[in-house]
Amino acid sequence: MALLELSGLTKRFGSFTALDNVSLTVESGEVHCLLGENGAGKSTLCNLIFGVHKPDAGVISLAGETFHPAGPAEALQKGIVMVHQHFSLVPNMTVAENLMLGRSGPKLEPRIVIDRMAELAAEYDLRIDPHVRIEDLSVGERQRVEIIKCLLGDPRLLVLDEPTAVLQPDEIDALLAICRQLVDRGKAVLLVTHKLGEIKRIADRTTVLRQGKVVETVKMEGADMQSLVRSMVGRDVRSPGSVLAATIGIENQNEADSKVVSMLSQDRTVEPALQLSHLTYNDLDGVTRIDDINLKVMPGEIVGIAGVEGNGQTELGLILAGLLQQASGSISAGGKNLDGCSPEEITAAGVGIVPEDRHAVACIKEMSVEENLFLGSISQFTKFGFVNRPAMRLAARELMREFDVRASGPEIPMSGLSGGNQQKAVLARELTLDPLIFLLAAQPTRGLDVGAIEAVYSRIRAASESGLGVLLISSELEELIAVSDRIAVIYRGKLVGELSSDSFSRESIGAMMSGHEHV
Amino acid sequence: MIEEQLAVFIGSGLRLAVPLIFAGAGEMLSERAGVLNLSLDGMMLTSAFTAAAASWATGSPMAGLAAGVIAAVSVAYVQAILSVTLRANQLVVGIGFNILALGATTFLYREIFGPLSRDAIPGFTQLNWSWLTSIPVIGPALSHQTWLAYLAIFMVGVTWALLKYTSFGLAVRAVGEDPRSADKAGINVARTRYLGVLYAGALAGLGGAFLSIADSNTFTENMTKGAGYLAITAVIFGGWTPWRTLGACLLFGFATALQFLVPALQLDVPVALLLLLPYLLALIAIAGFVGKSRQPAALTIPFARGAS
Amino acid sequence: MSKSEFAVKSSSLSWPDGLKGAIPLQVVVPVVATIGALLIGLLIIAITGGSVSEAVEAFWDGMAGSSFNIGSSLNRAISLGLVGLGFIFANRANLTNVGGEGQIAIGGMFATAMALHGAGSLPFGLAFIVPLFVGALAGGCWGALAGVLKAKRNTNEVISTLLLSFIALPLVYWSVESFHLLRKPISDVSSLPESPEIPDATKLPLLFPADGSSPLHIGLPLAIVAVIVVWFVLRHTALGLKLRAVGLNEMASRRAGLRASWLIILAMGVSGALGGLGGAIMILGQQYYLTSDFSSGYGFDGLVVGLLSRGSAVGVVIGALLFGFLRSGSINMEITAHIPSAVVLICQGLIVIAIAGSAILMNRKPNS
Repeated sequence: MALLELSGLTKRFGSFTALDNVSLTVESGEVHCLLGENGAGKSTLCNLIFGVHKPDAGVISLAGETFHPAGPAEALQKGIVMVHQHFSLVPNMTVAENLMLGRSGPKLEPRIVIDRMAELAAEYDLRIDPHVRIEDLSVGERQRVEIIKCLLGDPRLLVLDEPTAVLQPDEIDALLAICRQLVDRGKAVLLVTHKLGEIKRIADRTTVLRQGKVVETVKMEGADMQSLVRSMVGRDVRSPGSVLAATIGIENQNEADSKVVSMLSQDRTVEPALQLSHLTYNDLDGVTRIDDINLKVMPGEIVGIAGVEGNGQTELGLILAGLLQQASGSISAGGKNLDGCSPEEITAAGVGIVPEDRHAVACIKEMSVEENLFLGSISQFTKFGFVNRPAMRLAARELMREFDVRASGPEIPMSGLSGGNQQKAVLARELTLDPLIFLLAAQPTRGLDVGAIEAVYSRIRAASESGLGVLLISSELEELIAVSDRIAVIYRGKLVGELSSDSFSRESIGAMMSGHEHV
Repeated sequence: MIEEQLAVFIGSGLRLAVPLIFAGAGEMLSERAGVLNLSLDGMMLTSAFTAAAASWATGSPMAGLAAGVIAAVSVAYVQAILSVTLRANQLVVGIGFNILALGATTFLYREIFGPLSRDAIPGFTQLNWSWLTSIPVIGPALSHQTWLAYLAIFMVGVTWALLKYTSFGLAVRAVGEDPRSADKAGINVARTRYLGVLYAGALAGLGGAFLSIADSNTFTENMTKGAGYLAITAVIFGGWTPWRTLGACLLFGFATALQFLVPALQLDVPVALLLLLPYLLALIAIAGFVGKSRQPAALTIPFARGAS
Repeated sequence: MSKSEFAVKSSSLSWPDGLKGAIPLQVVVPVVATIGALLIGLLIIAITGGSVSEAVEAFWDGMAGSSFNIGSSLNRAISLGLVGLGFIFANRANLTNVGGEGQIAIGGMFATAMALHGAGSLPFGLAFIVPLFVGALAGGCWGALAGVLKAKRNTNEVISTLLLSFIALPLVYWSVESFHLLRKPISDVSSLPESPEIPDATKLPLLFPADGSSPLHIGLPLAIVAVIVVWFVLRHTALGLKLRAVGLNEMASRRAGLRASWLIILAMGVSGALGGLGGAIMILGQQYYLTSDFSSGYGFDGLVVGLLSRGSAVGVVIGALLFGFLRSGSINMEITAHIPSAVVLICQGLIVIAIAGSAILMNRKPNS
């Protein structure tokens, strides 16, 4: 009998169907992977199992009994634990406090939790200091705490939602090893991912989800990777374009698409599109987040910054956008110094920014698409303070058409667009700036499906071919390798190595990302 | 002579701080759980009136105290329904309750007691322990208090212990900081917040009742005079921690007591300036000129599971 | 206690299918809330043994029983409307200004001071225009102060405007207490703490001077102009759009190049200025001398008007008229029928709570 059985699960959010008649089983003692690209419904499925949402139709059975959790508390009681994609730890409380949350009797007894932590540390090699605050831990350490939290009560089923997105390569190895250990002890693991490479390594069975529907469930022994890719993406990917291959993590067996390298990037007398000299930034607690960075991006080149999230990329993005002030060092674009400039001045200098945080920084989701497109440049539609709405709407429609932003109209709120279309809108705004000499794209493909990812990269490539300098910050290493001319690796705020496209090697970049090598 | 004035001053300062301490301790816990109760003033006023009425009707101040607390908790319960379950704007709801409480207590007071009633209401008496009174300066100040003053400080301790040593306190802290994570850990966010608001209501009830049956043995219209707002400010000033909130309440209490000390010392300072001093201090405090503090991240933000 | 007790079942709150779209909820809810509250008020009067018919009669008489009463009601509506406009202006940027009472007080105080000290001799109507302007400016500074604290120190503007109100009122009290400031000299008739009467030239011209009993003055057209200007700015100008952007997402607004700090200060300043203007109009238009409690209750009433209107300038007009007339009615009801005007406070409180509580109906997201 299967440990977990889902039959005919359906879930709708308003008019959008996230899951459609999904059925699958998870057995004790197996690692079952859920494969699908961004937006396929994987997280929603996990949330249904864990009791965060209720299904609109269908049945969940746990060890033969129907299971309709009213909330996470019930799921936890039944032995289902989840490591969430965006973590579920309270930042300003300590590890021990987070572990006691929801578990203690009326009086807090940290001793019990600490003893159990020691047990788990011995069994699984999961060690962490109980008295440290979550906000002082690295991302990989936080995930360790999440896992310890899950294992405290000796669970039956462990659900992991995209756990490797934020891990360094050696941390990924450690995580997969723990999954194996758990399964050897008779537990079940449901691992959600969009990376084929990981599935190859760890899965016993894989279910492929596409647009909310189950495409197939296969046993991994003897499985055909190509057919899995086809199931996941929905079309034949015989010779995958380099970006596509990168996204889903299979080895790119063909040569990288030839890239037209603009003449401009060879011309040394031209001003760099962006130059960072000795850039340093310390956060409010005095921790150095950006440590003496020197970087040059020439017009026409795409420079990638590789690194696991949390190594200073966010701060770098905010400084370049003018929302944070560097502690020392200078920034210039096209020869013009930008130190201490406001976001308005930075934009006027020809710097376009696609921020990493779409919802908090790039756009105002409650406002309409047209308002978001033109908020910064509203004066072009203003006469004596009065806004010419019809003209603005026309211009917005034009722009949306040009950049293939799909929505029912420019007047609907940004929140009504899919992630991919939101990103295309942001690109539309930034790539039409005039002047434009430099573009920063920070984590531009996060949360996007394959179609949107391809669209974003083709825009970025086209822009660089017409003379723009591009800085691409991403934690998706394979994508960077496929698209960049040069890759620099950021680790703990420092640039620890720089490689040019003819010497890209996944292994050496990965090692630098983990801090193991300096080039 | 100056010693006497000082004793009176300290005594008044403590006395004036007592309702703030009660309300502040309770509100601090509620805000740690993420709910701001601007209606604190309304709860205190409701309690002051109900305690006065009950004490007058039964002749027992204890009955009055109990009635006041129950009244305040009832208001708090409705406030909780609005703030937590209906996810209404906590600021607007608070102001609405204050207007309602002012109207209701004024109206009922006129109906029951008549507009210029001078009936003395049975209240709690001061301790006046002779061994305490004999200590210079501090002694009389501490001794001319009712037992409620000491209860207030005790409640600060209770609140501190709750937050630090119980799992309810842990849940409160989690829910005010990151309700999404608390929910995923299995904590009932709504229930925790309800309890926080009710706790604030109960303590506000004690504070309000103090005004009418311990401090002054009568009820007057709008007798809280913004004490609830001062308590909220004290919580902010105190950085949402129990002991610093106590300190802030004492500060505001003493600032109000200056109103009486200054004329007694025959200094020629306009009464108006003394009247506004506590609020000015509060304004300076929350403007952050006295140290930084970090508010609970989810304060005033309603929680809905699954909403992004 | 199980979780389901605390969950609102969204399905039970949906608009019945036939009615959907016929009348917007935005309008229905305030109307229903007001009518319901007034009915409860009448019920309270009845229960406590008052005569409902007497109460209603006295109420009506106070509202519109004579041309003087109608004029007074409208005059009250002017000041309430200005405070309400101020509220919605700041609210556009997601700022909640609850310090209307203090802003009225400061405005009235400075307008009186200006009227008493020099403005009386100014020509061409400047005699009353300048004090009005000074009153608005003073209120504007009072509001901008809270704006600065918010922009620079992220101080919660609800608390700061409230505290500023509590600071303003004693200041006005001081000004009429102290002979050095605005208090009128002791005469053999009286020595009340109030200011002398302002010179005739500084009084706002009446709209119907021939009809000696109507107190309506040019504050009315002035207020109408204010309503139109505020409506226009919020709906159709870039400034209105920017205020909305800053209120929704400050960081993204900054990223788009908006000067968020300046916009916040401006929003609070304009909000306070409208309140200050309301206070100036009260003194220069009908009262003609300053007392320490002249602003009593107008601040909160105006706030309620602002909240009721849900961001709409038209809503402010309707709400201001309603509350202006309500206030006149309640005053007369208290004098004539001996029903405490606190009943109206109860109604107002109920209205605010009802509207706040029904917000969940109006902002429904698809249920999860």
